[in-house]
Amino acid sequence: MSNELARVQWNRPLGAGYHHLCLSTSEAYAGARPGQFVMLEVAQGPAPLLRRPFSIHRRLAEGGAHRGIEILFKVVGDGTARLARRDVGDRLALLGPLGRGFVWRDGYRRVYLAAGGIGVAPLVFLLEDILPQIDREASAVFLGGRGQQDLLCREEFTRMGVAVHLTTDDGSCGQQCFLTDPLEAACATKPPDVIFACGPMEMLRCVAGIAARHKVSCQVSIEARMACGLGACLGCAVEGAAEAGDKYLHVCMDGPVFEAHRLRF
Amino acid sequence: MTLEPTCPPPAPPAASPDLHVRIGSLTLRNPVMTASGTFGYGGEFRDLVDLEGLGAIVVKGLSLKPARGNPPPRIVETPCGMLNAIGLENIGVEAFIRTRLPLLRKVATPVVTNLYGTTEEEYAALAGIIDAEADIAAAELNISCPNVTCGGMAFGVNAQAAASLVRSVRRRLTKPLIVKLSPNVTDITAIARAVAAEGADAISLINTITGMAIDVETRRPQLANITGGLSGPAIRPIAVRMVWQVAGAVDLPIIGIGGILTAADALQFIIAGATAVQVGTANFINPAATLEIVHGLAAYLTRHGLAGIPDLVGRLERP
Repeated sequence: MSNELARVQWNRPLGAGYHHLCLSTSEAYAGARPGQFVMLEVAQGPAPLLRRPFSIHRRLAEGGAHRGIEILFKVVGDGTARLARRDVGDRLALLGPLGRGFVWRDGYRRVYLAAGGIGVAPLVFLLEDILPQIDREASAVFLGGRGQQDLLCREEFTRMGVAVHLTTDDGSCGQQCFLTDPLEAACATKPPDVIFACGPMEMLRCVAGIAARHKVSCQVSIEARMACGLGACLGCAVEGAAEAGDKYLHVCMDGPVFEAHRLRF
Repeated sequence: MTLEPTCPPPAPPAASPDLHVRIGSLTLRNPVMTASGTFGYGGEFRDLVDLEGLGAIVVKGLSLKPARGNPPPRIVETPCGMLNAIGLENIGVEAFIRTRLPLLRKVATPVVTNLYGTTEEEYAALAGIIDAEADIAAAELNISCPNVTCGGMAFGVNAQAAASLVRSVRRRLTKPLIVKLSPNVTDITAIARAVAAEGADAISLINTITGMAIDVETRRPQLANITGGLSGPAIRPIAVRMVWQVAGAVDLPIIGIGGILTAADALQFIIAGATAVQVGTANFINPAATLEIVHGLAAYLTRHGLAGIPDLVGRLERP
């Protein structure tokens, strides 16, 4: 874990409020795992005061040498609006890599990825990481968003040679439905070994339900408000399933990736 | 906020001034402590902060039994601050001693346990347990948490209740006793005098200020607990004022708390009358904040030709 000043390499608008940020970082991030996150200063304080959590979109390496990390974010409030205005060369305080990422198990071959909107961010990193182990022809990505502008990283997934199912709420691209429709259909005909999902809580609740119905293992990456990212503030509590007993789980320490059955949706 | 890449703990200047301070019978290597609830049980920060560079480590508030805390959402950011309603989630005093204290024993920095109960008897029982632990330097009595339904702040907003509680705890605690006051009162000096009269060794202030934020689109409170405690630089001027008032009211060491992000912030509290400070919300924003403040205090003493912190405590000049 490292607390450092990271330099902005690029910060490109992708349209519709999405941005692709690259930070040069120390070697501490060379070992970052898909699903892990960072706490990033968005502007000099004290307003906004807190760093913001972002999942790592991918690691940047050049010629085998670690260079930095990429972050995909959407402007949703004042903090992300300020981050969108950071320029090349700006230095931002960065803490990470943090949390528990996706867990890979031997025997996973057919893999479904479900990404809702900006939830796509950690799944590109994940697919790149697991690509050598999976059966590409049998695996698939399910991308969903409000409209065409919310379907990010289509090319990246296609380039990796997996089928990409597109769904939008407004029908502007792909099927007009939630991504859970084609996901459920695929699970019914060709159940995968595992589903990895990231997106809005409502979507994850549906994905977890689909996984449970088809007896498929499922890992979800979830978001929560948090102040520290370290397990100190305990602000990011979420309800665990009955097996967790009377205790809350904490997104920063126990997650952000959870086995779906461990959570109470 | 200034950070160096990878943030090594800043080295004190070559001829570093003496930063030692005394809180009752307790000597601290410097006046910078962590504020309860913002530094976990210490171990969470060991990769990021040289724990032996701190004046003292005040750990997360402990109760007799593990506490689940409040339902989420528990925090929300507000202008220059944050509201929290964690509800004193903690592993309980026995689990703390069994599982977290061993790590802290290896660190040559005084450990202060913040104690929270719902009744006088619970506080007294906690004090008894803490008093038997050689490796705990002092106890801080939390009579000021605004986020629990019974106990906590209920003891801190009434001088008689506060006095009675401190009397009960004092009987069970031979270690230094710090009482952490709530700002959610009409006259904080009345509470300060009451706990001083019952044998408190020091007073820490302020805990968070009760606040509330509403999402106007959903018309729901931003916190599941509806209200929460406001911390961060938004409350600093209130905290400095209260430290100044209490310093004029009691003859006890004061530990100033409230939105300290930098050495300059800490100095305001010291000049207002605090012997030491606690750094809270800043730990969330910059895990290395405490050590940067220690460094900044040393630099200030050097720059002003002062021999030590006591030369500065309460040395407020006329306007």
